[in-house]
Amino acid sequence: MKFLIQLLLLLQSSMAFAQLSTDSASARSIDEVVVTATRTPRYMGNIAIPVTVVNAKTVYQYGSLRLNDILAEQTGINVIDNFGKGIQMQGLSSEYTLILIDGEPLIGRTGGVLDLSRITVRNIRKIEIVKGPSSSLYGSEAMGGVINIITDGAGQNKTSAGLRYGRFNTLDGNFNFSRRYNNTDVTASFNYNRSEGFSLKPNQAQKTVEPYWKMAQQINVNHQINAQWKMGAGLRRNVTYIDNTIEVSNQGASTLSKGYERNEEYNITPFLQYKGNKVRSTMRGYVTGFQATQLLSVKGMTDTYNDKFNQLFSRVENQTDWQIREQSSLTLGAGHVDESVASNRYDSMSTERRNSISYFFAQHEEQLTDKLTVIGGFRFDANKAYASVWSPKIAMQFKANEQLSFNISYGRGFKAPDFRQLYLNFTNLAAGSYSVFGSEVAKPELDRLTALQQIDQVTSMVGLLSALKPEVSGGINLGAKWKVNNQLQISANLFRNDITNMIVTDVVAFKKNGGQIYSYFNLKSALTQGLELDVDKRISKSFSVKAGYQYLYTADKEVLQSIKNGETFERSLTTGSSVRMKLADYGGLPLRSKHTANLKLNYENAKGFFATTRMIYRGRWGTFDQDGNGIINRRDEYAKGYLQINASAGFSVKEHWKIMAGVDNILNYKDVIYLPGNPGRVGYIDIQFNF
Amino acid sequence: MKTRNIIRSVLAAVVIFQSCTKDEVSTPQVTLIEKVVADIPADTIVGLSPIGQPLGAGKFTFYSFETNSVVPSSDSNSTKWDIAMRGTTIMVNSGSSGPGKGGAFVYVGTFDDLTSVPADSTFKVDAAPTYAITTGSNKGWYVYTPQTNLVTPIPGRVMVIKTASGKYAKMEIINYYKGGTTPLASASDAIKTFSQRYYTFRFAYQADGTTNFK
Repeated sequence: MKFLIQLLLLLQSSMAFAQLSTDSASARSIDEVVVTATRTPRYMGNIAIPVTVVNAKTVYQYGSLRLNDILAEQTGINVIDNFGKGIQMQGLSSEYTLILIDGEPLIGRTGGVLDLSRITVRNIRKIEIVKGPSSSLYGSEAMGGVINIITDGAGQNKTSAGLRYGRFNTLDGNFNFSRRYNNTDVTASFNYNRSEGFSLKPNQAQKTVEPYWKMAQQINVNHQINAQWKMGAGLRRNVTYIDNTIEVSNQGASTLSKGYERNEEYNITPFLQYKGNKVRSTMRGYVTGFQATQLLSVKGMTDTYNDKFNQLFSRVENQTDWQIREQSSLTLGAGHVDESVASNRYDSMSTERRNSISYFFAQHEEQLTDKLTVIGGFRFDANKAYASVWSPKIAMQFKANEQLSFNISYGRGFKAPDFRQLYLNFTNLAAGSYSVFGSEVAKPELDRLTALQQIDQVTSMVGLLSALKPEVSGGINLGAKWKVNNQLQISANLFRNDITNMIVTDVVAFKKNGGQIYSYFNLKSALTQGLELDVDKRISKSFSVKAGYQYLYTADKEVLQSIKNGETFERSLTTGSSVRMKLADYGGLPLRSKHTANLKLNYENAKGFFATTRMIYRGRWGTFDQDGNGIINRRDEYAKGYLQINASAGFSVKEHWKIMAGVDNILNYKDVIYLPGNPGRVGYIDIQFNF
Repeated sequence: MKTRNIIRSVLAAVVIFQSCTKDEVSTPQVTLIEKVVADIPADTIVGLSPIGQPLGAGKFTFYSFETNSVVPSSDSNSTKWDIAMRGTTIMVNSGSSGPGKGGAFVYVGTFDDLTSVPADSTFKVDAAPTYAITTGSNKGWYVYTPQTNLVTPIPGRVMVIKTASGKYAKMEIINYYKGGTTPLASASDAIKTFSQRYYTFRFAYQADGTTNFK
């Protein structure tokens, strides 16, 4: 154990605890150093929390371009196409999963969804996936888990460039540079990605996916001042641009309107770090902005539809790790966040909505015996705009022997009400003139409309209008890892998340013109539970197989109760009559598949040739209600399950060149209605050059 | 395809019901009449307004449980009809709607569960613009989903109706679209617009004046 800790301390001598070079073909996953689970570098085999690491080599060999490509092939993760590609993990949707780049949170969500396709994976060293509530370390949004993208470069001397071409004129170019000058590391990367989009329905002016381009630039400079002190800064900018051609029905005639959507995100990450014998302390600043613009001009109309959204997030934080004894370590942290949003969907661009959060967190790790390690921690977030939250977490690992280990963890997670839920002030004149008011503006807006005599009647929900509370969850994970031998490893994880105070919209009033007025309430509670199973088998020196499966059960708790009480009905597909619903017919939350599975075959020989085949199965999932009871129950309310097979192969030429080609979705599976983002079969070729 | 088969079976059921009951009505002991009625138009769409909103002629379709037939609108001010439909609005022959002794309320449960009118029932009468069968999405018998632009009868809603002559009937709306099939969510708005306002419903009418539906 002493050896391990010495090794750990040795490994800690790097920026953001993230720049360790462990990625090699021979590294077994158990030896992987992971930073995201505990915010300190730990060997994966020593972590009491479910963690998956995907390294750069896998990302390259699987031909992944964007973050959604590689995540969609991981056990227990689904990518849902709705306001962009959103993640679904342990049955929780995108708004409950925190996405980090080099440890810093990404902002800029649409309808709660953070679009994974914004993020290139052509400059990464690895992706760490932590499942289960992690708010005790990361605060809001880390309810279903945390995904940390760790970029490549620091400490190495290498320059590479790559070009990829695929169907739909999809072009992706990347350039990565890293250099060490004495005590200074410089890394830079550039990525450009474009596509002409595609149509699933022919003969329509509007494409299913419109033409787009995306660009990412990043530069990091780290300087080792002396043996103890280190400083540095990073700069990152990401732009996505989508051409929009939208068919608008106006006065019964349809006209084409042209426009675009542009999202720009940037961030700046300065840091200063002290590393002594037993203490390491890092002071970090983080400023990030997200600007979204949607512009649409309709033919023959002078008014253009113009939607703007600007978000700014700045944070300063200190984290101090103290190795108290060999078996005992303490992490303390505190920080302050200022957030502001301006949008013409809220008020006007000139009115800024602000929130600030002060927080602190602590975590203690104690190795009680050779076999038993316990980690406990909590975080407190004091918010200006909504109620404060405590997020405790406790995790335990028990190593029965060299082969077998068990872990159990309980944590609480939360998601703060977002600006939309607090401040949205939106009236859709085109569609029935309905309005949506955030909880903070609902009362004054209702008063204003009442004074204008526009309100027909208010509903009983008005009495429930109050300051929104954060959504909270409690999550348990129970896992086992069994290393049968050097060739076979099996792991299983049972999970359950109970979410309360979920924020839903409901009608507060009816306008005299028939339009409804919606606002937000902490009303719903839900649960997700399931089992994740992974098998990793090395068949020969060059051939390995990985298999994964997730069983998932989700439910809206109020619906469960109502079914149990016999108060929920469904309409029979065969007779057309209503029958009282049985619990077994309840399909849970929409967009969740009960069964998902994957099988991956990997071949790689010593000469640098590789080939992969990945089979991803997603079982049927609920879409929307058809029989009027508002829930998923009938078989026509599901999208069909499907199998997607992706394959790739490549080889290296002399050290410098790497050439690969691949086909995604070989079976050409398409579902025009429920998988609009899936274009069918896509082939590509890819060339990388290392200078 | 499956849904087409269902329409066929519903239609077949209608035919069978009608042909059977003609014989059965002659038997004096049977006073409970159960029917499935398909495709009753209720102010179907005739065109679009200048701003593209679908328009009907604005007229109710009147229906009699006793004769199991549509009643001409010239008889609207009589006791010959029991219910009337216009779009999603349903009237009963009472109050502001007609001279009958009608009334109604919405029972939560299945059609078969309701074996008699509960003793403590209160029948509401129409007082336009408020109706005994409450209008509006998720308030009376249907739910409207803006995302799909579709109207769906809520399962487990049975309308208990007092007829114009003061007898009792129960009624469940099965579908709101032509042919008894709701268009697919992905169907065009034109299809959804022009196939709506066709009622398929089942009812049971107790001719002996009791509250018994057995």
